[in-house]
Amino acid sequence: MRTADVLRLVTRALLTARLRSFLTILGIAVGIAAVSLLTTLGAGLQLYVLDNFSQFGSRIVAVNPGKTQTGGIGGLLSSTRPLSLDDADSLRSLPFVERVVPVVQGSGAIEFGRRVRHTDIIGGNGEMAAAWRFGIAQGHFLPVISGNSQPLAVLGSRVKRELFGDAGALGRFIRVGGERYRVVGVMASKGQMLGFDLDDIVYIPIDRALSLFNRPGLMEIDITYRAGSSAQQVAERIRQRLIQRHGVEDFSLTTQDEMLSSLNRILSLLTVAVGALGGISLLVGAIGIVTIMVTTVQERTAEIGLLRALGATRRQILLLFLSEALLLALAGGLFGLLLMALLLGVLALAIPALPISLSPFYLLLALLLAAVVGLLAGVSPAWRAAGLNPVDALQQE
Amino acid sequence: MRTADLLQFNLRLLLRQRFRTLMSLLAMAVGVAAVLLLTGLGEGARQFVLNEFSLLGSDVLIMLPGRKETSGGIPPLTGEGTRDITLEDALALERLGSVQRVAPLIVGNAQTHVGGRSRELLTVGTSAVFFRLRELVVRQGQALPVIPLQRAEPVAVIGSNTRRELFGHQKALGAWLRIGDRRFRVIGILDDRGESLGLDLSDGILIPVAAAQQIFNTQGMFRVFLQIRPGSPMPQARNDIQALMQQRHGGERDVTLITQDALLGAFDDILQLLTLGVGAIAAISLLVAGILIMNITLISVSQRTREIGLLKALGASARTVRLLFISEALQLALVGSVLGAVTGYGLLALGHWFFPLLPFVVSIWALGAALGIAIATALVFAWLPASRAARMPPVLALQGLAR
Amino acid sequence: MIRLVDLSKTYQLGDQPVKALDQVDLAIEAGEYLSVMGPSGSGKSTLLNMIGLLDTPDSGRYFLAGREMNALNEEARAAERNRRIGFVFQAYHLLERLSARENIELPLVLAGMAPAERRPMVDQIIKRLDLDSRASHLPRQLSGGQRQRVAIARAVIRKPALLLADEPTGNLDSHSGAEVIALLEELNNQGITLLVVTHDPAIGQRAARRLRMEDGRIIDDSGATQPPSADSRHAHR
Repeated sequence: MRTADVLRLVTRALLTARLRSFLTILGIAVGIAAVSLLTTLGAGLQLYVLDNFSQFGSRIVAVNPGKTQTGGIGGLLSSTRPLSLDDADSLRSLPFVERVVPVVQGSGAIEFGRRVRHTDIIGGNGEMAAAWRFGIAQGHFLPVISGNSQPLAVLGSRVKRELFGDAGALGRFIRVGGERYRVVGVMASKGQMLGFDLDDIVYIPIDRALSLFNRPGLMEIDITYRAGSSAQQVAERIRQRLIQRHGVEDFSLTTQDEMLSSLNRILSLLTVAVGALGGISLLVGAIGIVTIMVTTVQERTAEIGLLRALGATRRQILLLFLSEALLLALAGGLFGLLLMALLLGVLALAIPALPISLSPFYLLLALLLAAVVGLLAGVSPAWRAAGLNPVDALQQE
Repeated sequence: MRTADLLQFNLRLLLRQRFRTLMSLLAMAVGVAAVLLLTGLGEGARQFVLNEFSLLGSDVLIMLPGRKETSGGIPPLTGEGTRDITLEDALALERLGSVQRVAPLIVGNAQTHVGGRSRELLTVGTSAVFFRLRELVVRQGQALPVIPLQRAEPVAVIGSNTRRELFGHQKALGAWLRIGDRRFRVIGILDDRGESLGLDLSDGILIPVAAAQQIFNTQGMFRVFLQIRPGSPMPQARNDIQALMQQRHGGERDVTLITQDALLGAFDDILQLLTLGVGAIAAISLLVAGILIMNITLISVSQRTREIGLLKALGASARTVRLLFISEALQLALVGSVLGAVTGYGLLALGHWFFPLLPFVVSIWALGAALGIAIATALVFAWLPASRAARMPPVLALQGLAR
Repeated sequence: MIRLVDLSKTYQLGDQPVKALDQVDLAIEAGEYLSVMGPSGSGKSTLLNMIGLLDTPDSGRYFLAGREMNALNEEARAAERNRRIGFVFQAYHLLERLSARENIELPLVLAGMAPAERRPMVDQIIKRLDLDSRASHLPRQLSGGQRQRVAIARAVIRKPALLLADEPTGNLDSHSGAEVIALLEELNNQGITLLVVTHDPAIGQRAARRLRMEDGRIIDDSGATQPPSADSRHAHR
């Protein structure tokens, strides 16, 4: 039988029972819309989070004190073997290492004249802005120096606005934790990252931050490396160098690669899980196709008998009914995608900040899913139709 | 028509169309079971988290060094401020009228040695008060002794895992261990207890706070736990504490006070929202089941056209005919829902059986919502086909010609 | 053309085995006109279904055009039905959602013939059976006689050698019934082998060769007749 004829016969059958077909299609459509909408939102979230994390660049290895990282806050805790500035400096000579940034973070009062703002203070060095890919709006970042540093500070854009308003900040003196600092630069705005305001930060030299917070060691050392070496290789060299200095492995290493990929894994899993929840509706939709197809086969028994008498083979009967289920499911899939687009549009209008990423791959996957559902749901009724005895079937009516 | 007759009439029909009936029941049951299972899991997770983390009463405040202007953001969790919270601060706080107990806390990772064994362990410097605040249970020996905060008594209480890791089968109580370059005598072993507040104390070791200051070479506290005296209003106590700290820190307000309630409240909200969202996603399947019931009722109406004509000829009113079809759909929905509820709760109970940590929660609102939605959809979706049947002119219907 | 040897078929009716065909022997020459009569349950329809390859015997052999049919699997039997056999039923069995033309076309569609190829064939048969004005109508818009004419057109569209009619006039008034019989006989005159199962003695008597069945056996056979001339048979291969 020709494909065009199969399609024509099947479409005619579906159009004859219009309302019934529509409701069956609607059932699948709701399921497909649920699955595709949820996975699209999940994928959007995934992209958003990964974007947020990878804005610091991907060739970064972080070293934190303490071998065990309790709840991811290892760097914040005290340690009997702190990471020192010398530890950080010792890493500079390793091959492929590009920049080494020692980090301490805390909070304190920033004063300018009579204005005070309590906010985050990050201690770093001159390479920090470049390593973290932070842009400078005015002036320059902390100077790259060795030895004791000058009392210089760089302001995040929010801090600058709060303390100086529209007035110039460069060259002015502020107090950080009671000590006088000269403002040498203002950062470009970076926005929020997972609830943390990246513009509400003041940057000061690391040695001064350590004494300001009265802290024996660093919270983290960030190392960026040049292309041409893998994260694992660089991490391994850092590990060897620090073990050499400390005697034991009393620190932990995280590569941005690893972190991004494990984050990616978790978020992908989440997307799949949420999609699977939507899949429950699809399952119910599939039950609908089975029910309707079985009923259809029941009602068209005499017709099946006739077709067999006219010389239709079992395979042709199977093909006809399977195509009918498939067509129902595919129409449901298309309709479902339409429904999803509509809902997505409404959502995008209602919540403009919503990260949405439509990938044609997922849309095709949704259609494929619908087709698979149709085939699976259609196979048993179609099989039943093909197995009918033509003599008995003809006598039905 | 009497209800009993109606039910029996429908039952006959449903039994005759066995496959179709089974499928509609299945669809409804899957939907209801999914809603109940997912909301049950969500509720269970929520209660688990609340139980696990709400060990500090609502009368306990947590003080951290540092303060940030931005409200509603993340508190300055790094534990570094420009001015430390010192032991003297803690002692002064203890003297406040509205404060009953104060437990200072220094937390760090320290290399700990026993004989040839060496482990890096979570080391908590604190006082006897901490044991009461956290309701820590000592299985063997005693808790940290009640001593002045400044005294670095060389004693330690260890967690159960720590005991296993450091001592193996040897006797731990009374034995000596070394943290950094200082020696401590084990005076107590904690009971097995899960993780709480993100710190797993069974893998940890507790020592007097002054000893921790020496080991970690630090003056400042990581956190200070404050229990408010019963009867003192919380805002009042908050103000007292802030005022005292401001006075002691040269007029600077440089500490942050949070309640566990506030932290948990946010968490609770998120989990509740999550449960609701997951339940709603599952409820979409009930909508699909409703569509299926509508379809089946439509088919039933068209296949029973002659029967409708006959019933009308026998004197059935339009209302009766409508009732006939709607009650058929309702019966399907009801039986399906009950099957689904039994399955959903059965699966939850099974999960509880295999993972006792997972609480088995029957939430009335979820059950009510699932059954309500199921029955409402059946009603709404059966209405159109039932009305179509009710409107059929008897003569045409008898000839099978009505549409 | 058709030879049945010792053909038997038993059905289970409730817990009662019923011999629908009991060692039936029958030979039919190409171009013959047969009627099968007998009471209900005598095995007439089973015989028709057997010859039509819709049913399979429990024992015995069936040769069609010299080939043994028992050896064929179900799919091959379907192909044989499509090519060599036309059916006409009492209940017409038209697809309600297809037009008369589309109904007639069905066997060609099932055979996978291209639309361009089948159009002239359908046109020709519609013209010949005088259905021009009805071709685009749906079955429910046709009278009973017209419906049966459409069904006959469908049965002969592939120019089969054998036409099987099961109570073709059962649902028709006498006038339409006579027209349908006339049409079937005209087709037989042009060479097609015609087998009519009927209750109606008036119709049964018209056949050149009359079979009477009872309890699954052929109890009376008026005997083979001389088939029509060779050229007209040739035209309807």
